Amino acid sequence: MSLVNFTTREITCKIVYYGPGRSGKTTNLQYIYGRVPDDRRGRMVSLATETERTLFFDFLPLELGTISGFTTRFHLYTVPGQVYYNSTRKLVLQGADGVVFVADSQVRQLDENIESLQNLQSNLIEMDDDMRSMPLVLQYNKQDLPPQLILRPPELDEALNFWGLPSFPSDALRGLGVFETLKAISERVLRKLSEEASQ
Amino acid sequence: MRRTRAVEAWTVEPLDRFVGETGARLTLLMTPAGQVLAQQGFTRAVDVMASAALGAAIFSSTGAIARMLGEREFRALNHQGRQYGVFLGALDAPRGKLLVLVVYGPDSSLGLVQLFFADLAEQLVVAAPEPEERHGPILAADFERELDESLASLFGR
Repeated sequence: MSLVNFTTREITCKIVYYGPGRSGKTTNLQYIYGRVPDDRRGRMVSLATETERTLFFDFLPLELGTISGFTTRFHLYTVPGQVYYNSTRKLVLQGADGVVFVADSQVRQLDENIESLQNLQSNLIEMDDDMRSMPLVLQYNKQDLPPQLILRPPELDEALNFWGLPSFPSDALRGLGVFETLKAISERVLRKLSEEASQ
Repeated sequence: MRRTRAVEAWTVEPLDRFVGETGARLTLLMTPAGQVLAQQGFTRAVDVMASAALGAAIFSSTGAIARMLGEREFRALNHQGRQYGVFLGALDAPRGKLLVLVVYGPDSSLGLVQLFFADLAEQLVVAAPEPEERHGPILAADFERELDESLASLFGR
């Protein structure tokens, strides 16, 4: 849940990168960490196994600057993608203001993407939320792989994007689509925050 | 004496008193999602945010274990190192649950921290304002322009 302080005019929002194992969630944060100047980001914390698989989460705080007179910060988190880490995934999802679903574009990963998306919906419902009310964007990662190995964005939209949400092809290792994804989720999170306040 | 740096001013007096009584090295008051309301003793914003995220994660994961055991939650946790200890405690403020993370050294003790944490929790609950009434949209209608500029400068575009 976002933290808005009207006295000091500060906004802090939590964005969670969700998706199946090895889809590129951590890579998104690593790319952002590498591109953002030191004074606009905090330390990146990664709780990973010895083989660099995310065990609990990655965390990266970003200073966006001043928006509408509010100093705005985003806390970016990833969840562990592997199926058996659902209990920790739920913990990281708590209090999220927005979700980026990072899908693996490989043909052979389609079932894992669908399973992870269903898992996201079921975890959100447990928290009295759902995918229609939570600000959400999709990212189709690994679009740089040979065409015969991957599904193209229209095919992935057909399989995963039931609600016509913004979706972005990406190659997170080289940064393609990372910025566009972050920009889209930021807009949706801040728009919802502002609309809720006016109700 | 080190000063409390607070996002919310009502937290300053109780935290200053707590640190004065316990000799705690570092103290953070935060939401269960790890968003910092006040800090005392931390000198770098970077470490504050990382510590808050990790503290909230510890509390959240042990809370999940507690529920598996049929407990509601663990209200206080302690991790003891050779020189330093970390204490994590929860309190129920009018706006909801808040967490306090305390790092103490050899010149303090877990007992002292626990003793004064109860006072701190009471004082914070008394001092905490009711949740703020919000009137009208927070952001300007064209906030996207500022957001675009902020993100572009963030990515060096």
